[in-house]
Amino acid sequence: MTSTSADVPALWAVRRSSTGTRISSAALLAAGVALFAVPFGFAAGVVQQLTTLFIFMILAVMWNALAGYGGQVSVGQQAYLGSGAYATIFLTQHAVPPYLAVLLAAVASALLAVLLAPLLLRLRGGQFAVGSWVVAETLALLVALDADLGGGTGISLRGLNAYAPNLRRAYTYWITLAILLLLLGLVVYLLRHRMGVALQAIRDDEDAAAALGVRTGPLKFGLFVLAGFGCGAAGALTLANTLFIQPQSIFGVQWTAYMIFMVLVGGIGTFEGPILGAILFFLLQQQFAQYGAGYLIGLGIIAAGFALYLPRGLWSLPADRLHLRLLPVGYHLQRRVARPSARRSDV
Amino acid sequence: MINSPEIPLSFSASRRSLLRALGAGVTGLGLAACGKLADDGAQATGSTLKIGFVSPRTGPAASFGEPDGYVLSLARKAFAGGLTIGGTRYDLQIIDRDGQSNPQRGAQVANDLINSDGVDLMLATSTPETVNPVSDACEAAGVPCISTVVPWEAWYFGRGAKPEDKQAFKYTYHFCFGVEQFHQAYTHLWPQVPTNKKVGVMWPNDSDGNAIRAALGPLLAKDGYTIVDPGAYTDGTNDFSAQIAKFKAEGVEIFNTFPIPPDFATFWRQAAQQGFRPRIAQIAKTGLFPSQVEALGDIGAGLASAAYWTPTYPYTSALTKVSSKELADGYQNEAGKQWSQQLGPSLALFDVAAAALRAVANPKDRAAVAKAIGTLDVQTPVGRLRWGKGPNGNVVATPILGGQWVRTTGGKYPLDFVLCENSSDPNVPVAAQLKAYGA
Repeated sequence: MTSTSADVPALWAVRRSSTGTRISSAALLAAGVALFAVPFGFAAGVVQQLTTLFIFMILAVMWNALAGYGGQVSVGQQAYLGSGAYATIFLTQHAVPPYLAVLLAAVASALLAVLLAPLLLRLRGGQFAVGSWVVAETLALLVALDADLGGGTGISLRGLNAYAPNLRRAYTYWITLAILLLLLGLVVYLLRHRMGVALQAIRDDEDAAAALGVRTGPLKFGLFVLAGFGCGAAGALTLANTLFIQPQSIFGVQWTAYMIFMVLVGGIGTFEGPILGAILFFLLQQQFAQYGAGYLIGLGIIAAGFALYLPRGLWSLPADRLHLRLLPVGYHLQRRVARPSARRSDV
Repeated sequence: MINSPEIPLSFSASRRSLLRALGAGVTGLGLAACGKLADDGAQATGSTLKIGFVSPRTGPAASFGEPDGYVLSLARKAFAGGLTIGGTRYDLQIIDRDGQSNPQRGAQVANDLINSDGVDLMLATSTPETVNPVSDACEAAGVPCISTVVPWEAWYFGRGAKPEDKQAFKYTYHFCFGVEQFHQAYTHLWPQVPTNKKVGVMWPNDSDGNAIRAALGPLLAKDGYTIVDPGAYTDGTNDFSAQIAKFKAEGVEIFNTFPIPPDFATFWRQAAQQGFRPRIAQIAKTGLFPSQVEALGDIGAGLASAAYWTPTYPYTSALTKVSSKELADGYQNEAGKQWSQQLGPSLALFDVAAAALRAVANPKDRAAVAKAIGTLDVQTPVGRLRWGKGPNGNVVATPILGGQWVRTTGGKYPLDFVLCENSSDPNVPVAAQLKAYGA
C-alpha cells in the first residue's frame, strides 16, 4: 500500500478515482435507490423477474468474491443456498414470521460457514473444490432424511400465502434488492480497504502473500463466511420467490454451474464483471430456456468459448480498451497533467 | 499511502449508510402506501383468454413431455375458432413452457406465465417436481390451475394438506390415480402368476416413493403379501448391490419400484448381472413409455407396468371429439413414434380447461373459474372426470390399469403394452394374461 514518488515515473501518478468513476459511482448509487420504487410503477412480471435477476447477481458477486478475489474455487456454494432455504422453512415452522425468517436464515447460513470453515479452509485448490461439494451433498442427504422438513418429497412455504400476491412480490423484491445492495457495498468496502489488496495477493500466490506478512487465515475465513451469508440469503430468497423446494434441486450442483458461468462470462476478479454476467445469464435464460437441451448445450459452448478465447470475461473488453471502471476499487496509472494540484499526490 | 484527496476514504462507509437510510426510507414509504402497488399484469381485460401449459420437456422426466407437441397442436386446432362464453367471443392462446424437471425452474416459468403473460388458467402435468411448484405458484397468486400425472397423494399431502382437510386448496385442482388404484391393479395382476407373495420394494426417498411407502405397503400386507423393504434410497444412487443381495437372500419373487427412469436402468442392469430374477417385475413411474423399455434392451421385455391411458380406452375427448384410438393413430402418423400413455391425460387437461372456462359467465374472473372446476363433469380420453365425488374437493381419482410389455411379432415397433386387468375401470377391455418375467 505504500510507495514513494521515486518509484513512479515523473509523468505518471497512481490514482484510485477519476471523474469517470465518480460520475458512475453516483449513477450506480442513484440507480440502486431508484430501483426500490419499481413495484409502484411496473407490472408484477417485471418485479418478479427483477427479483430473480437480483438473486443471480447476489450469487455471482458472492462466488466472484470467493474465487475471483480469495482464490477459493468452491463448487459447493449450493450448501448455503440449501441451508438458507431450509432454515427459512424450519423457522416458519416454529412460528417466526416468514420475512424475518428469510433474514435470520441468511445469518444461520453464515454461522454454518463459521462451523465449516475450520474443516474446509485447510484444503486448497482442487481439494477445496471437491470438499465443498461433498459438504453440499452431505447436507442434501441429511435434509432428505428429515421428515419434518419434507424429506425428499420437498416442502412448500405456505406462510407467504397469507399476503396478497402483489404485496408478497413487492416485499420479496425489496428484501432482495436491499440484501444485494448491502453485499455490493460490503464488497466495495472490502476492496478499498487494505484487506482487498491482501486478498488479491492470496489469490495470486498464497505462499508468497504469507511470506510477505499477509495473515491469510483470518482473511480467507472472513470471505468464506461472507459468501456463506450471501448464498444463504440467495437460497432463502429463492424459496420466497418460488415457494416450493426439494433437497435435490436446491442443493443441486447446477447452482454452482450458474455461478461459474456468470462470473466467467462477465469477468472474474472484477467488481463489474459478475453483475454483467448475471444480466447476460438472466437474458439468455429468458430468451432461450424454452429450447430445452439446445439451450443447455448453448450455455456450455458459450462458457467454453469464453474460457478459451476471452478468459478475463466480457468486462475486460471495455476495461482494457477504454480504461472504463465504474467504481473506484482498484489502483491504476494515470498520466499526470501539468497543473499544480497534481503534486499533491506525492507522499 | 497515496491520497486521493477528492474522495475521502470514508466514502464507502458513508455510501453504505446512506444506502441503508434511503433503502429503509423508501421501504417505509412502501409499507405506508401498499395500496398503490402496481396490480397484476393483464388481469380481467381484453378478449383473449390465455392458457399456460407447463410440462417437463428436458431433464430426468423429459420422456413425459415427448408427445406434448402433438397434443398441443390438437388443442390449438380445437381452439382456433375461439370460445363463445356468455355471448362474448374470446380468442384462445396456449402458451407452453418447459419446467426442465426442476422445481425451481417450474416455479419460475409458472410465475412468468402468471405475471408477464397474465394467463387466465394454468395447466400442469407429470411428476411432482414440475406440477407441485406450478400449483403452489398458482395457489399463491390466485390463478386457477388444473394438473395431472402425479399420484394424487403426492400432490395433495406433498403440498402441505392434512388428511382431515376436505378441500385444502382454493385455486388448484387435480385428477390422477392414487395409491388405492395401484393397490387395485397390483392385487388383480399379481395372482395371475403363481408366486410366494414376497414383494421386494425399491421405494425412493422422494414425493412418490414416500407416499407409496406410507400408504401402499400396509394395504399389500393386509392382502397377505410380505414386504421386503431395504429402506428408502436417494434418487441418483448408482450402486444397488446391497438391495439386490437382500432380495436374493429373502427369496423375493415379486419386485416393485417407483424410481426415476435413470435409476431403474441402473438397478435392472445390476440385478441382471447379479442374478436377481423375480417372477414379476412391477415397475411404476418408469417403464411407462416404449422408448424407456426399449432402451433396456433384452431385459426390458416382460416388465409389468400400469397405464393411465391406452388406445383401447373407450372414451372420446369432449373438446376435440378425438377418440382414444384416433389419438394414438394420429400421433403415430404425425410424430412417427409409438403411442405414449401421456397422450390421454395431456389432452384431458384441455378438455377440462375448455369446460372450466365455459362453466362461468366471465372467464376472466379467476375466482369464479376456480370455483367452477370443483363442480365440473367432463368427458376426456382417460374417462369421465367428476369433481366433488372424492377423495377430496380438489381431486378426482382416475383409474390405472395393470399390464405388461410384450414383444410384438412383425409389427413396426418391437414392444407393445397390453392390459392384463381392468379392476378400476371395467369398461376398458383386457387384452391378455400376465406372464412370468422371462417366460
